[in-house]
Amino acid sequence: MADGPLRGVRILDLTHVWAGPLGTRFLADLGAEVVKIEAPMGRGPREFPVNETLGGWIDGGPGDEPWNRNAIFVKLQRNKRSVAIDLKTDAGRETFLRLVRVADVVVENFHSVTMSRLGLSYEVLAAENPSIIYVAMPGYGIEGPYSQRVAFGPAVEAMSGLSDVLGYGPDEPRNTAMALMDAVAAVSAAGGVVTALRRRKQTGKGAFVEMALHEAAVSFCGPWLIESQLGKPVERLANRHPKMEPHGVYPSAGEDQWIAIACRNDDDWRALCSVVPGLDADADFATRRRDRLEIDAVISRWTSHRDKCTAAGALQTAAVPAGPVNTTPEMLSDPQARERKFFVPLEPGPTSMPGNPIKMQGISSSDWTPCPKFGADNAAVLKDWLDYSDEEIDELERSGVIVDRPPA
Amino acid sequence: MDRVLEIGGFAAGYCGRMFVQAGCEVVRVAAASLAPSEHGSTALDVYLHDGKRHIQTDDLKIIGELADRADVVVAETPTAEGLLDLGFDDWRAPVKAAITPFGRTGPKSNWSATPGTLLAMGGYTYLMGDSDRVPLTLPGHYAEFQGGGFAYLAANASRLAGEENVIDVGMFESVMALSQFTTVLWTCAGEIRSRHGNDFLYASPSNLYRCADGWVYINITRDFWDALATAVDRPELVIDPRFETNAGRMANREALHEILDEAFASLSTAEVLARATEYRFPCGELKTFDEVLQDPHLAERDFWQQVDGAYGRVASPRIGWRMDGSSPRPASTSEREQRHG
Repeated sequence: MADGPLRGVRILDLTHVWAGPLGTRFLADLGAEVVKIEAPMGRGPREFPVNETLGGWIDGGPGDEPWNRNAIFVKLQRNKRSVAIDLKTDAGRETFLRLVRVADVVVENFHSVTMSRLGLSYEVLAAENPSIIYVAMPGYGIEGPYSQRVAFGPAVEAMSGLSDVLGYGPDEPRNTAMALMDAVAAVSAAGGVVTALRRRKQTGKGAFVEMALHEAAVSFCGPWLIESQLGKPVERLANRHPKMEPHGVYPSAGEDQWIAIACRNDDDWRALCSVVPGLDADADFATRRRDRLEIDAVISRWTSHRDKCTAAGALQTAAVPAGPVNTTPEMLSDPQARERKFFVPLEPGPTSMPGNPIKMQGISSSDWTPCPKFGADNAAVLKDWLDYSDEEIDELERSGVIVDRPPA
Repeated sequence: MDRVLEIGGFAAGYCGRMFVQAGCEVVRVAAASLAPSEHGSTALDVYLHDGKRHIQTDDLKIIGELADRADVVVAETPTAEGLLDLGFDDWRAPVKAAITPFGRTGPKSNWSATPGTLLAMGGYTYLMGDSDRVPLTLPGHYAEFQGGGFAYLAANASRLAGEENVIDVGMFESVMALSQFTTVLWTCAGEIRSRHGNDFLYASPSNLYRCADGWVYINITRDFWDALATAVDRPELVIDPRFETNAGRMANREALHEILDEAFASLSTAEVLARATEYRFPCGELKTFDEVLQDPHLAERDFWQQVDGAYGRVASPRIGWRMDGSSPRPASTSEREQRHG
C-alpha cells in the first residue's frame, strides 16, 4: 500500500473493466487501503484463453498463472490488496457484510440491478454500517429509460454529443475509440468519494453516491451544450479551433510523423512568424482565419522536412505552443516525463506504467506495491479487518468461499 | 465548508466548479493579466463559473491577502514561472494546488502549451482519426478539466487528512495518467498503438455503424459476440471459424465490417438499441448536442441545472456524481453577479 493523505480510509472495490478500477487506483495512490473484492472468475478462468488478451502480458508471457499477468488488468491494480470471495454463497456474502461494517467506502460499477440481486444493495449495506459511503457507477444510472442498457465507454461517448465536434467534416463523425469517457468518469468518481468522505467527517452521515458514466460524459461536454443553446453553431472543425489561428497538426519529417502547433493570440502569432519564414507578423486573427489555407501551407512546408521534436523545440524557444505528436515509446521517453519520474517500473519486466499526476508532500511511488496476485490477501485482510482465526479462514478456503486460483 | 480561492484558466475554473457544486464558497480572481491566453466564451463562463464570486483585480498584494485567508487556493498559470510571479510560494493557505501544463519542475516546465499540444505530446493525438490521414486532436478542454479534477481530488484528500500541503498537477501528466492500455501495449506486447478511424481495433467488432436513420456505436468484447450475432439475425457468425475468437475477428475485421454494415443498414437506430437492450450488448446512438439536450433519459433523471444570466436561461449539466439522490448544485447562483475589487 502507498502512503498519502487518504491513509486509514478503507475502500472495498468491486469494480471491473476500466472506469471503476482506474478511479479506485487514484484513491489507492493517495494512500487509501483499497481491497479489491474479486469474484472467483473475476480474472477469467484458470484455462485463460491466452490469445484473448488485448494488451500483452506482464514479464513477457502468460506464464503458469495467466490471470495474474494480463497487462491491462495489472495496470489498474497497483497499491491495492486482493480478496477473492464468492459473494453468491451465504458465507461469502456474510463475510463481505462484515468487511462492510469496518469499511469506509464501497465502490462498484455493475449493472444497476446486480448488487440488489446479490442481496447487497445500499440499503442492506447501510443497515450494517450507517456511515458507509456507497459509490455506484452504473453506465446510465440506477433509474431512467436507459438504465437497462449495457454501457461501454465508446458507445456512451457517441451519446454524449462529442462526435458532433470530433471528426474530419460534416458527414465524418469520429469516436476517440479509446473509451475516453471512462477516464472522465474515473476522475469524477474519485472526486465524489473524497467529497462524500469530507461530508461524513462533518456530519457523521454516510452517503449513496451515484456516478453514471453517461452523465459524466455529458457533463464533460457542457460548454458545447451551452454554446448550442446560445445560438452559436458548434461545428466539427477537424483540427481547427474556434478561437485560435493557426491551430493544427502538421506533417514533419518521416513517415506518419506530425507536430501540433497553435497560436492562442497575436503574441503567439508574432513569435511563430519569428521562426517560420514567409508569414505576415502583422496579420490579425480575422486575417489569419481568412488566409488559413495559405498559412497552413507555409507552416507545413517548414515542418515537413524537420524532425518533429527539433521543430517543436525551435518553436518553444520563441514561446510558441508546439509539441510533437508522440507515439507511445516517444511519450515514455519524453525528457519531461523522465525528469519527473512519471512512468513507474513497478511490475516485473519492462513495464513502465503511468504514475500519479498528483505530486505533493507525503506521497511517493517509492512505497508503491504492484498488482496483488489473485486472492493474495484473503487471509491477511480477514485477519487485519475482522480478526478471523486461522481455523475460520481455513474453513472458508475448504468450502471454496475464498479462493486464490480461478475455477478450471 | 472551505473557502476556496481560484486563480487562472479553465483547469482552475473546472476545479473551482467542483468545489462550488460540493457547497464550498469559491472566489474567482478574474484579472486581465491572469486570464487564459486563449479567450473564453460565454458558454465556458456559464459552465465553469456559475455560483462563484468574482474579484476583478491585478493587484498581487490583494491576491496574496486573499490567498492567505483561504482554506484552499487553486492557481493555474501558463508556465511554472508564472506561479512564482504570482507569489504562490509565499501564500499561507493550508492547501495550495498549482496547475500548470507541465508541472512545476523539469526541462519543459516553462514550455507554452494548449490543449492540442498537450494531447499531442501525451500520446492521444496519434491515436485519433484515420490511419491514412492527419491525426485528429480532441476539441475542447480535456487536459484542463482532467487536471482540474485531479487538483480537486488532491486538495480534498489533504483537507480530509487535516494536512497542509502544496500540490503540483501537470496537465501533461494528467493526460498520460489516463492513457488506456496504450503504454502496456507497447511495453508488454511490443505494439505501438495507432489510429483506425472509429474502429476500436483491439476488441472487434467495435465501431460506428450507419443505420437507416443515423449511427450507432457498438463495443463487442469477448462476452458480447454471441449476443450481437444473434441480435442482427446472423447466428451463423458464432460458428464461423473466422470470427470465433477476438483474435480471429481482428484478423478478419474487414469481412466482418462488411457483414455488419449490411446488417445495420436496414435497421433504424431505435431497432438496434432495442435489440442491444434485449440481447445485452453495449450500444449507443450517435447524438448531436441538440439531441443530447432533448434526451428523455437525462430529463427524467433531472440532470440539468437551469442557469440565468444576461444571455437568458440555459440548461447546464451538473457534475458527474450525485449524492443521496440529489444533484449537488451551487448554493446561490445570484452570487456570480457580485463583483469586488
